Amino acid sequence: MNTQEFDALLTRALERQDKADDAAVERVKARLAGPLPRQQLPFWRLLPTVLLDWQFAPAWPRVAALGACAVIGFAIGLSGVDRRIDRTDTAVITSGGIGSIVFEPEPLTGAQP
Amino acid sequence: MDDSDEALMGRVARGDERAYHSLVGRHLPAMLGLARRILGNAAEAEDVAQEAMLRVWTHAPRWQPLAAFRTWLTRVTVNLCLDRKRRVPWVELEAAGEIVDPAPDAGEQAESDERERAVAAAIQQLPDRQRAAIVLTYSEGMSNAQAAEILGTSISALETLLVRGKQNLRRALKSLIGEDEP
Repeated sequence: MNTQEFDALLTRALERQDKADDAAVERVKARLAGPLPRQQLPFWRLLPTVLLDWQFAPAWPRVAALGACAVIGFAIGLSGVDRRIDRTDTAVITSGGIGSIVFEPEPLTGAQP
Repeated sequence: MDDSDEALMGRVARGDERAYHSLVGRHLPAMLGLARRILGNAAEAEDVAQEAMLRVWTHAPRWQPLAAFRTWLTRVTVNLCLDRKRRVPWVELEAAGEIVDPAPDAGEQAESDERERAVAAAIQQLPDRQRAAIVLTYSEGMSNAQAAEILGTSISALETLLVRGKQNLRRALKSLIGEDEP
């Protein structure tokens, strides 16, 4: 069998091999008739959608939590972390005044600071 | 209204489902037939054709008309077929055994049918890329350049695939076509 005859045999063999019958086509079409998946949009087309979908409506528990944190922070800022929060009205007088600062001479040289 | 494949694809990219179903109706039978010839299995071919058509929908917004739509879709289908065939172990061509004619006394037409059936069976035993090259060239009637583009290879590599594929077929069918071992 020469090359042309063999090529013709291949073509005929492939032609007669199962062609897509109508029933199979209809089955696949029926499967594709359902809801289609999301399309893969490029980022520049996706960005406006993301921004438009942004939820600006406040979520009240989160707002309340944020407010509580702000109040606590404000109170601590007023009082300081070294004082009890219920004693912020009392003046604290340090036990060590300026007199406690002692300038001692250098032990070896005797130099004054 | 322009209803070329490329124009329809532009509408599909904007989410037009009617345009999508037009494209499906136009190309599904051919892609299903191609998948059947490469896979040799009707059920798997339906799965592959469905997957290829879904990719038309999902990839439409990113699709660039660098090649004809039909060429792109054929490439998607062939790649899906090759991926699927890769999952199952390949059977050596020699392991398929000699193909015998079960009806030696049948008439000429029956003999011809049987010969073509045997050739089709031998094609199914070829390595995946050789089979895809032969199907694209002899069944889809594509030029070597088109088939090479779809398989993502050079024309010379495609010609090598075709030559090797035909050598394997001649070896497997030697008793049928009356040839000695080359």
